[in-house]
Amino acid sequence: MSLPNIVELYGVTKAFGALTVLHDIDLSIQQGEILTLLGPSGCGKTTLMRLIAGFEPTTHGRVIIEGVDVSNLSPDQRPVNMVFQRYALFPHLDVFDNVAFGLRLKKWPKDRIREAVQHMLHLVQLGEYGSRWIHELSGGQAQRVALARALVNAPKVLLLDEPLAALDLKIRHHMLAELKRIHRETGTTFIYVTHDQDEATILSDRIVLMNRGRIEQIGTPEEMYAHPRSLFCARFLGETNILSGAVSACDSDLTHVAVGRGTVKVPANGSAVSVGQNVSLAIRPEALQVRRRQGLGETTENALDGVVEDVVFMGSRVVYSIRTPVETLKFQETRSVDGSMLAPGEEVRASWRPDAAVLLTQ
Amino acid sequence: MLRFYVWLYVAFLYAPIAVITLFSFHSSPSLTFPFEGVSLRWYEKIFSDTTFMTSLQNSLIVGASTALVTTVLGSLTALGLARLKGRIQTFFGLLAFGPVALPGLFLGIALVMLFSQMGLQRSLLTVTIAHVLFTLPFFIEAVRSRIEYFDLSLEEAARDLGATPMQAFRLVTLPIIGPTIGGAAILSFALSFDEFIITVFVSGNDTTLPLTIWSMMRRAVSPDINAASVISLGLSIGVILIGGLLVWYQRRTALNARARDTQA
Repeated sequence: MSLPNIVELYGVTKAFGALTVLHDIDLSIQQGEILTLLGPSGCGKTTLMRLIAGFEPTTHGRVIIEGVDVSNLSPDQRPVNMVFQRYALFPHLDVFDNVAFGLRLKKWPKDRIREAVQHMLHLVQLGEYGSRWIHELSGGQAQRVALARALVNAPKVLLLDEPLAALDLKIRHHMLAELKRIHRETGTTFIYVTHDQDEATILSDRIVLMNRGRIEQIGTPEEMYAHPRSLFCARFLGETNILSGAVSACDSDLTHVAVGRGTVKVPANGSAVSVGQNVSLAIRPEALQVRRRQGLGETTENALDGVVEDVVFMGSRVVYSIRTPVETLKFQETRSVDGSMLAPGEEVRASWRPDAAVLLTQ
Repeated sequence: MLRFYVWLYVAFLYAPIAVITLFSFHSSPSLTFPFEGVSLRWYEKIFSDTTFMTSLQNSLIVGASTALVTTVLGSLTALGLARLKGRIQTFFGLLAFGPVALPGLFLGIALVMLFSQMGLQRSLLTVTIAHVLFTLPFFIEAVRSRIEYFDLSLEEAARDLGATPMQAFRLVTLPIIGPTIGGAAILSFALSFDEFIITVFVSGNDTTLPLTIWSMMRRAVSPDINAASVISLGLSIGVILIGGLLVWYQRRTALNARARDTQA
């Protein structure tokens, strides 16, 4: 957290007519990081990016880039560049002229433009493609040209608006690795908009999870996955099991929650709950331990008895659905070396360590 | 049998044109068969006829002015319409295209009334104003169908890369939609060049080519009318072909681009 902030948003609010799509957003983006704005469609992530780019004026609040208030500047006056969702490459220009567009507007001398464009085309591995027309490019190549066209201007911040949405899965994974490499080689700050949690997890230094025009949670992918602060966050990032119940007792460090006929103990984590309050518990599928029930004694603490309902073999891992009186649990384990698996209909017990569950009050 | 009908249909469509073209090269004044030989005498005659040449010149002036004014007004309207949304766009789109449905007779009378109310003398100016009114809806429609395929994020991309609104228009929007506008401009010229009914009402002493040919017909059926008509026909067809080709080519490239986008 010692890095300087390159972008700061203070109280940014955006309304289209009577519809407010962003509510009082405060956000600091650090020099050189990849920050992802993640959320379902309509959560305001794209609008927030367009506010930073300058395509939309803020209704309230300020946008600061490198200490300068740019709230009232038009897109051409802001030191940021954008990669558009459908690339928005100029169809009447070839690859070279597309990439050179920004530098020509800045009236760079010709030989410097040629040098910079060539350098950038090599960076995105399209060194030989300068004279190609846009319509001759594949989706992945067009994506690279869009990247080069933005990055050649050496923006303080590169904005990427769902840049991989139009690509098929295989190219998408390849482009994610490419984006990471390009980020490493240029050191540019990336702000990346996506609704895809996998993209966000793979790519980001930090994720900003948004919902209904507000920020739900900010953190590294690991923090967000291990310590979701809300039901929304727990459900949006990865698979999760949600149990609900009422608080039955509060220890100094463990909160007891009545779930079904048993009790779940969960670290209090400083969340202020009172006895009788309805709460939720999030437990990741891989945090469960599932054993055959035969020969096990009765227990009602941090455990649920159930029946294997469904088994999905996914190669390196196996995903089970376990029906319990309370909730159908998802359980995931890596495939065991001897290949042994539970079978549908088997009676099992799912249990977990207290610190594997997260207490959620909202 | 079917083939016979098709030939009959084609003959029905093109026989008059064929006959008039043929007899414009006839060496004798006779307008009936048998055909007695080829000559350019009627073309010589018509090209030395000052009434014809003046009206041809008038038609070219009116056509060019109409195309120019229509292009400026129509392009702005079409670009504006593309930026409207939903019902407002539908409403103004219909409003812009509406005059197409009005009978020329009605437009002619309405314009005469308007011009006399305004105290405007009937002249080539009033003809041009009338022709702009007549060609504008066609122009807007032709350009609009192309602009609908124009990706507005291209302008945003240009702005993002440092272009002012004017630079974005000049460097991106105009080069992409320019050929369509050119084609539609040529189309306006052709429409104006052929326009007859409205022109009858709003022209003063300066007549246009269709009016001159019409009045020649009334004086006497003379073979030089054939030549005059063929010249007019040739000019119109040539101009429409060029314009149509431009518009067609533009739409095809736009559609191809869209097909690729959806594949990707």
